[in-house]
Amino acid sequence: MLRSFNWLDVESLLRGAVWTIVLCVTAGIAGTVLGLLLGIASSSPSRIARWVASTYVLIIRGIPLLVIVFFAYFGIPLMFPDIDLSAFLTAVIALTVFATAYMAEIFRGSINAVPRGQTEAAQALGLNYGRRLRFVVLPQALRIAVPPGIGFLIALIKDSSLVTVIGFVELTRSGTTISNLTAEPIITYSVVAVLYFVICYGVSRLGNWYENRSGPRRERPEPENQSAALQLEGV
Amino acid sequence: MITVKDLHKKFGSNEVLKGIDCHVDEQEVVCLIGPSGSGKSTFLRCLNGLETATSGAIEVNGHTITDKKTNVNVVRQQVGMVFQHFNLFPHLKVVDNVMLAPVKVGRLSKDEARSKAAALLDKVGLADKTNAYPGSLSGGQQQRVAIARALAMNPAVMLFDEPTSALDPEIVGEVLAVMKDLAREGMTMVVVTHEMGFAREVGDRAVFMDGGVIVEQGPPSQVFGDPQHTRTQNFLSKVL
Repeated sequence: MLRSFNWLDVESLLRGAVWTIVLCVTAGIAGTVLGLLLGIASSSPSRIARWVASTYVLIIRGIPLLVIVFFAYFGIPLMFPDIDLSAFLTAVIALTVFATAYMAEIFRGSINAVPRGQTEAAQALGLNYGRRLRFVVLPQALRIAVPPGIGFLIALIKDSSLVTVIGFVELTRSGTTISNLTAEPIITYSVVAVLYFVICYGVSRLGNWYENRSGPRRERPEPENQSAALQLEGV
Repeated sequence: MITVKDLHKKFGSNEVLKGIDCHVDEQEVVCLIGPSGSGKSTFLRCLNGLETATSGAIEVNGHTITDKKTNVNVVRQQVGMVFQHFNLFPHLKVVDNVMLAPVKVGRLSKDEARSKAAALLDKVGLADKTNAYPGSLSGGQQQRVAIARALAMNPAVMLFDEPTSALDPEIVGEVLAVMKDLAREGMTMVVVTHEMGFAREVGDRAVFMDGGVIVEQGPPSQVFGDPQHTRTQNFLSKVL
């Protein structure tokens, strides 16, 4: 009972795209917040916090997303038999666990990329660790984190297609269903591809907008001064 | 104001400070001079706890900062520091750079801090740059903002870590002029510098360091005019 690809199919693909967006926005936000906390932990003076953060990152980054999705799908019902988790929430949890690890590394790198002199200047003013982080380091680190963060979110949107395996109907799953019904995989997946592209393009633009949002914030390069270079102290 | 007793500092096995004894009186301007790697910057950074002393005692304005029980942030609020590379906060406007510590640490209201910042920026000759970002200023202007920022907490002592070394020669003067004003007003200052002219003219005392120890100290006229040690003589013959 094959039928031809029609506008109704586009509509259900759009519905799938909306679920992909909802899924990625939810997991993206959760992963960014948790990743920020872990990133702060892994650059903190506390050895325990650093250990917890780096161990989490090490483990999660070493496991394929598909396996994390299976773990969430089979593991959560085993651990919490009373909770009836929907496919959507299972997918959100799996993607969040995954995204947290990568965002944590992005934030750790961004925090470390803020020049040491910034922390020292804040220390010299008598700001404690929390205030240094909040008023001096994080505002600069978040800005540095935007390009790699956006890059990762775009990858996450595409990787989210893996949750089809647990039966959550998002964009790729809709495409598969329609392709099977119509036997027109090329047209179907072309539309799927275009929709993914549009979503990713939107995220890219959002990132560009954020980066260019406000005035001159970059510090100018240090004045090139030979005598200064010669006088730099070794210690 | 500052008393340092038998200060040692090691980075790993590298002993950078090998027993420093030093005293700085109130309103005194002490200039630390010496070759690169002599430990003068490390010494200065120990005075506000940016480096932790390996052994020895440092007392600043009545606080023993080498004591683990001392809250180093409280001491730092009484000690201003100016860095070689300015280290202004690039994401904050000039006025917000100056206001940050008084508002977040010094418990001034925003309005009080703002008028104080305006007065300090006026003092360093940058009243017209209040709303500029540091990135749009010249090195000399940035360093003057950094001085205003350090003064905003009403410090009892000001530490200067080679404040003019990263500046083009023609703008060194504008920063030194601000520092001279401060010295004239009676600020206690410890200045690591390669500006021998400044040390001679403004300093009450010159301290020559080499190899992690104080080799010689005294009134600038004596240290520069009649150095007693060969190491001092060698150094001065190269830089003067």
